[in-house]
Amino acid sequence: MTPRILVGAAAGLVLLFLLAPILAILPLSFSASDILRLPPEGWSLRWYAALLSSERWLLAARNSLLVAGATTLLGTVLGTLAALGLHFGRFPGRGAVLALLAAPVVTPSIVTAAALFLAYSAVGLAGTFVGLVLAHTVISVPFVVLAVLASLRSFDPALLRAAASLGAPPAAAFRRVVLPLIAPGVAAGAVFAFATSFDEFILTLFLAGPGQFTLPRQIYAAVRDVWDPTICAAAVLLFLASMLLLLASEALRRRGGGIG
Amino acid sequence: MTRWIAGLFALLAAAAPAAARDLTVVAGGGALQDHMRRVLFEPFARANNITVRDQSYDYNIGPIRAMVQARNVTWDVVMVEAPDLRQGCDDGIFERIDWTVVPRDRFLPGGTTECGAGALGWGVAVFFDERRTPQGPATYAEFWDVQRFPGRRALRMGARMTLEIALLSDGVAAGDVYRVLATAEGQRRAFARLDALRPHLMFWRGGQQPFDWVGSGEVAYAVGFVGRAANAIRSGQPLALRWDTLLYAYDYWAVVRGSPHRDAAMRLIAHLTAEEPLRELARVWPINPVTAAVARDPAIRAANPLMMTNFIDRGLHINTEFWLDNGTDLEQRFTAWLNR
Amino acid sequence: MRRGGLPAFLLVLPLLALLVLSFVLPVGRMLWTAVADTELADTLPDTAAVLRGWNGEGLPPEEAFAHLVRELDTALAERRLGLLAQRLNFEQPGMRALLLRTARAAENLRDAPRERLIALDARWGEAETWRLLRSAAGPVTALYLLRAVDLRRDPAGGVAPVAEEEAIYRTLFLRTLGIAALVTAICVVLAYPVAATLAALPARLAAWGLVLVLVPFWTSVLVRTTAWFVLLQREGPLNAAAIALGLIEHPLPMIGTRFAVVLAMVHVLLPFAILPAYAVMRRLDPSLAKAAASLGAGAWARFWRVHLPLSFPGVAAGGAMVFLLAVGYYITPALVGGPRDQMVASFIAFFISQTPNWGMAAALSLLLLAMTGAAALLARALIPGFGRRA
Repeated sequence: MTPRILVGAAAGLVLLFLLAPILAILPLSFSASDILRLPPEGWSLRWYAALLSSERWLLAARNSLLVAGATTLLGTVLGTLAALGLHFGRFPGRGAVLALLAAPVVTPSIVTAAALFLAYSAVGLAGTFVGLVLAHTVISVPFVVLAVLASLRSFDPALLRAAASLGAPPAAAFRRVVLPLIAPGVAAGAVFAFATSFDEFILTLFLAGPGQFTLPRQIYAAVRDVWDPTICAAAVLLFLASMLLLLASEALRRRGGGIG
Repeated sequence: MTRWIAGLFALLAAAAPAAARDLTVVAGGGALQDHMRRVLFEPFARANNITVRDQSYDYNIGPIRAMVQARNVTWDVVMVEAPDLRQGCDDGIFERIDWTVVPRDRFLPGGTTECGAGALGWGVAVFFDERRTPQGPATYAEFWDVQRFPGRRALRMGARMTLEIALLSDGVAAGDVYRVLATAEGQRRAFARLDALRPHLMFWRGGQQPFDWVGSGEVAYAVGFVGRAANAIRSGQPLALRWDTLLYAYDYWAVVRGSPHRDAAMRLIAHLTAEEPLRELARVWPINPVTAAVARDPAIRAANPLMMTNFIDRGLHINTEFWLDNGTDLEQRFTAWLNR
Repeated sequence: MRRGGLPAFLLVLPLLALLVLSFVLPVGRMLWTAVADTELADTLPDTAAVLRGWNGEGLPPEEAFAHLVRELDTALAERRLGLLAQRLNFEQPGMRALLLRTARAAENLRDAPRERLIALDARWGEAETWRLLRSAAGPVTALYLLRAVDLRRDPAGGVAPVAEEEAIYRTLFLRTLGIAALVTAICVVLAYPVAATLAALPARLAAWGLVLVLVPFWTSVLVRTTAWFVLLQREGPLNAAAIALGLIEHPLPMIGTRFAVVLAMVHVLLPFAILPAYAVMRRLDPSLAKAAASLGAGAWARFWRVHLPLSFPGVAAGGAMVFLLAVGYYITPALVGGPRDQMVASFIAFFISQTPNWGMAAALSLLLLAMTGAAALLARALIPGFGRRA
């Protein structure tokens, strides 16, 4: 059984490697001085205070929430409708549509970002809130469709037949039979879409104008342009937001939603 | 469903820009901009009974291009580097300066262009730590002399300024540098000079880096921004700055094309480049003004011995046209050289 | 229960419209930008028309000179000359200065365009200059694509390599592939024990173990890369710890090195290798390994001849994903890498935001897409089950 122990030990080391940097940032964000040393020389909340009193960071947080919220709304609506159509319908080109859905996910983000920047510049959408939301939606919506499709797969069509046989018109049957059952899937997709948009960086790098900087974009500016230890605090907050979303996603998965 | 749609509209409405936008001026940020806000922007706002907002940016004019094309201009007055100003002017991103509002004769030679009014000068020069190396190179030829002045050197990453320095070190006169650098032979000569110094060279990207390196002893002699060097010296660091090795350029105030506050922007620029406000600014921050009256004022020169404009006759004015014409080519060659 | 085509299609239509308008068309447009050559035709339309009809021998007809003077004058007055100047200057340094000087002098050249142009600058009397303009008259050009692989058109019309001092792109692509391959190899090797261990755990423990992998997976790439940026600083925690432990005397420069790029990229992409491998290994029948053991196979033989071949599709799928992602990566090399570690993506970004040269950005993107497309096709061919949706 020694190989098993060795393999297990290796696995443990790798997991430590995966988690270490993120865990290291946490204490650094509470460091009292701006010298980056572990353990920190003193403990203080000054970087968080600086974050919360800085107009720039607050604007970035507001933008992140707005863009992610709008993206989630738009993506969930479009994605759920499309998933319903793809699951229940039969029309020529259905396979092509599925392939098209996968395209934004497999295309390197830099290529998507460059393409959208060029196209949006031509129509005046570059550096606008609407343009940013559209771009985020394009890369988030495949996850919504996947999640809803996955939960539709476990949907028993017999339920709809039963509803029809009890006299329910198709619209009512959808609203009161299908939707409640796929709700976890829709919610899981929405959570994934929100997380994708919230963490999205590269599209935002090219498409966001000075007034639309999101948190990731602002962190990048703080790392590249003016070295600011506040980024540790910002990174921790962004990390906590991602963890909340992960928890939500896991909770939904256990309730029947989720992706795969 | 209706609640969702209403929510979506509310979100979009909340994000829409306010109908009446304040006059916005954008510069490089930092302590200097804080002083400018107090000494330049706010008095103008008070005198004209308007609000003036200021923002900072990283001198990347990509966002400016995008906002002009989108016809959603949110910046009015911007401090722009010379090549970006030139290119932007040719491409119609900046308004032509209204010289009836901004007196063109108040600037130093080379301090105005079609779309720009001179704001502040900046430059690079050789500096080193006087305590560690009391004797240091006084010219670029000496900068190359590793026998007399051993130790590592630091230059700015990129072809711009580095190639001129290479030629200057090889004995080319300042007046001839750009003529020589425009020829294939001259370019080969410059890269050959860089090859000769390469084992001792480090390249910096961020303005603070050469100062960190000289401070920690990692590098003996460096070429860095004179503004930062002056600040370091004033705060007590024992740096020696060699003004004979100065390369300088001007940054300009420009007005973004399509700005709804064009007239106010022109008046703001007139104020930003006027004598009195700049004198005030010079009192609290060691600026390098491009307004002639302030730059040549003996009192201010005496009070600011490290002001760059005291030394521009010794320095090389970086040629914007040359870099616009040859920049792409030379920067690519520099990248190729770096990767060899 | 499948419904008829039309109502279902209408449900899909809004999303389809978004994808077409906001992805397919922009990507298509960008691919077109890689070969489109419109600056001359847009700025000097009449000149372009005459040049297109010219055969390239000697000097063009008289009207070309006249049109050029007139149109340069108008373009300068309307400030539309910048794009053309940049386009021509990219192909031949010096053209920008020539165009601007000519445009500014245009008023004095109207009366005798041909003689006065040549008098203003001898280049207007050279066939090469006019052939250059003609080649830019459009509608398409191979300039950007050729340049993106360090090639150019020689005066005779053939294809030749660019001067050695200028060749950067082939190295760039090789370097990108190399880094991506190295990162992939390390990820696959590291992912294997993690996936195997998790797959062998009972379901509840495995779920918790999986959460440990999902935490970095859900953490933003930027946060993880920033964490490495902070940790690897000269005055950062890693150097400080190493000095305190006596491992090194002086702080090591780690930011700006290939080591940092590979390290950070492995860290960021590792979950993508672990998850598919775990998914496949989870479904492996444990009785197969037991059967092999009962037939006398030792641990190594069990691994090499039973476990590895069966888990290969999952591991390879994870590796393929890592490779596809690594090849197009921007943020990590940009933040922690040095000038010799930049990958294709950073040049694309450079040509978009710092020096607007959309032709080059598009050409490099096209080549990058081709690379990832080829890699994806290869993976699909070699890895059973790759690319099939569950």
